[in-house]
Amino acid sequence: MEKRFEAAHPGVDVRWLDMGSQEVLDRVRSEHANPQADVWFGGPASLFATAARESLLAPLTGDSVFWLSVYRTPAVIAYNRAAVPDSGAPRDWDDVLAPRWKDRVLIRDPMASGTMRAIWGMVFERSLAATGDTAQGAAWLRRLDGQTREYVQNPAIMTEKLVRQEGWITLYDLPDVQITIRRGRDLGYVFPSSGTPVIDDAAAVVRGAKHADLARAYVEFVRSPAMQILAAREMYRLPARTDLPADSLPDWVRQVEATMKVAPMDWERLDRDGAAWMAYWDRHIRGTGKSGS
Amino acid sequence: MSAGRRGRGSVAAALLVAVLAWVVLYPLLIVAADALRGDVLAVVRSRAEWLALWDSVWIAIASVALAAAIGVPLAFLFERFDFPGRGVLGALMALPAVLPPLVGVIAFLFLYGESGFVARAVMAVFGLREAPWRLQGAGAILLVHAYSMYVYFYLFTRAGLARLDESMLEAAASLGAGRWRTIRRVTLPLLRPVLAGAALLTFMTALASFSAPYLFGGSFRVLTTQIVATKLNGDLPTAMVETLALTVVALAGYAFLRLGEGRGLLVAVGKGTAPRPRRIASAALRRLTAAAGWGLAALLLLPHLTLLLVSLVPDGTWTTQALPPRYTLANFAALVTEAERLRPLLNSLWMAAVATAAAVAAALLAGHLVVRLRARLARPIEWLLTLPWVVPGTVLAIGLATTFGVTRPLAGRFVLVGTALILPLAYFVRSLPLTGRAVLAGYRQLDPALEEAAQSLGAGRWKRLWRVTVPVLRPALAAGGGLAFVTALGDFVTSVLLYTYDTRPISIEILSSLRLEQVGAAAAFGVVLMAVSAAALGVGARVGGTR
Repeated sequence: MEKRFEAAHPGVDVRWLDMGSQEVLDRVRSEHANPQADVWFGGPASLFATAARESLLAPLTGDSVFWLSVYRTPAVIAYNRAAVPDSGAPRDWDDVLAPRWKDRVLIRDPMASGTMRAIWGMVFERSLAATGDTAQGAAWLRRLDGQTREYVQNPAIMTEKLVRQEGWITLYDLPDVQITIRRGRDLGYVFPSSGTPVIDDAAAVVRGAKHADLARAYVEFVRSPAMQILAAREMYRLPARTDLPADSLPDWVRQVEATMKVAPMDWERLDRDGAAWMAYWDRHIRGTGKSGS
Repeated sequence: MSAGRRGRGSVAAALLVAVLAWVVLYPLLIVAADALRGDVLAVVRSRAEWLALWDSVWIAIASVALAAAIGVPLAFLFERFDFPGRGVLGALMALPAVLPPLVGVIAFLFLYGESGFVARAVMAVFGLREAPWRLQGAGAILLVHAYSMYVYFYLFTRAGLARLDESMLEAAASLGAGRWRTIRRVTLPLLRPVLAGAALLTFMTALASFSAPYLFGGSFRVLTTQIVATKLNGDLPTAMVETLALTVVALAGYAFLRLGEGRGLLVAVGKGTAPRPRRIASAALRRLTAAAGWGLAALLLLPHLTLLLVSLVPDGTWTTQALPPRYTLANFAALVTEAERLRPLLNSLWMAAVATAAAVAAALLAGHLVVRLRARLARPIEWLLTLPWVVPGTVLAIGLATTFGVTRPLAGRFVLVGTALILPLAYFVRSLPLTGRAVLAGYRQLDPALEEAAQSLGAGRWKRLWRVTVPVLRPALAAGGGLAFVTALGDFVTSVLLYTYDTRPISIEILSSLRLEQVGAAAAFGVVLMAVSAAALGVGARVGGTR
């Protein structure tokens, strides 16, 4: 994608630094006096909201729009097809708690992963909607902890462990699973039938960016119909734009739109209470599920 | 000692203290000020925090014990006895020091993990359906620590033994002391500075260790991983309080171990020739020693070999087979043919070289001031040299990023973040304890009569330094400088916070490859890093070994 941008803007060399979304925020914070980045590309919109509140972003259009959604990233249940036949895979979140998956579940460490935080947030929010407090959600996560073989810190290592059958199923995000499949790993995935959180992946221009105009052009560029379609075809990204001609998108997008059920999420609430929920989980639930059952 | 020399020494000492305080202490004070603004009481009242603290401490103590138990006997074996293959094996023993970060830990995973070679072999032999163990929790952390940290004891003890004076041992023997009594009453007391130095390094490294607990800890929490979890959760104030707690524990450990180093009064007086290695008399025992040595070397090399194997595997082809089904050189070809991938290697090389040279120079100056001139500022100098080990690398990096992220010339703060200077500066700070401990310990064993003799023979200051001090300190310089260079070359913890596009080092390129799930490419980078590190240590050992 950056090659096409370079072709359209002669003399521009687009350079990537690849890191976790929470790390980007840290970096933009610590570099605020001498910003090194022009564009912040990718990460949950709630993080961009935090950055905008801290005056770390430059306005894109007018004075009030600080970031724009680029992709939608859903969470899925993924499994190793060598160990789990497609017909036997879990259909919904609750199925992951079934006895036959005990000690077969690998979980990407939720403190570091935006996708995991979204799933954890969904569990707590469902509990709040059903009972008025978070106790039911905490109990659910404790049961999941009892099923969990290991919390894995690094995504590459988690994929290795899944492929090498240390665990059979995991909770993950759709683009990563699809790219792993394209690399020849025999994985399958399902959209949970009761609904899955879909993260708003955004882009923004860093305040004080040395090439602010080009940075704005880049954000516009990745949101252009041609690039949205390219990202869908090559990087398995669900376009954020809804005005794209349906026949220009690859088949998988249409399939996803047909099968995926989006869970209602209060993202502002997650933005507000998420840190406290995660801290509670980290200190009081992690590692306690096995003794409790 | 002339008044003039004293005076110049005081000025030099004051300058050294000022520079060290500026780049080492000042950033930490800025971090500490942030910590004290947080909710200290809430952290103090939390049981989870105390548990993490306790786990950090006992892991560090156990790591020192294990590392000493492996490193010291090995050093004696290789420095005292002669047997076939001693030279090559002696160098191979230092190889765990060159296992690169991140991928090194991944090598452990492929080797000893539940789907690794060893577990699969055991499963095949005993017909098990499940892996007999998991590479998780305190046991896994201690395994990695013992493996990577015994090198400190091994190298330091060898350097110390090489500087022992044989006449002392002969005197003990002629006074009727047996071999064990001589070791206990003469050798070990003389080695006390180097042993305490190694223990200090190991304790601090284990306490600050991040990758092993991060990747293998599972639900076993130590403070370093707790800090990162808290920080990732956006609770920066609590993370800073946890950082402060870790720093306090480390300072206490430092104070305790520093007592063990003594005041450096025990120096070997005399002409300072070390005893020659003794040929093992019994032919059978000699062969047994050689065989055990090669066996041990093979065991120590297994992670490196695993990494090499992984670097030769096309991504995604190796799943549940005992050995990879296919091999390729494509991962290495990509390193050579793509200029973008060669760049990180060159970056790491120049930044590590600059940082090590500066740290060696600072250590020599410090050794001269502290041990020889006994400058009034001796204790602050030593303290500042050790401080970067007392605080975890993450904190140093955060401190540097905060301090040198704004322009306030009057407060001594300039924008270095985002420039090519910040990483060499961070490496320099992190190298100071390595070169500092080694050179100070070496200086303490150095007989001042040597320099005084050179002076009475009319040698000037630089000539004395170049012709007497540096040659005699060569084992210590090589040990400290070699470790510093290799550590900077493979640094991950500080680099990840401070790198820029133009200065991205090897470890960051490894991380990027891993994020893209190119495990083979990451391993290939690891193999190259390992080869360069081994070459650097090999050169170091040769420089240090010639007497």
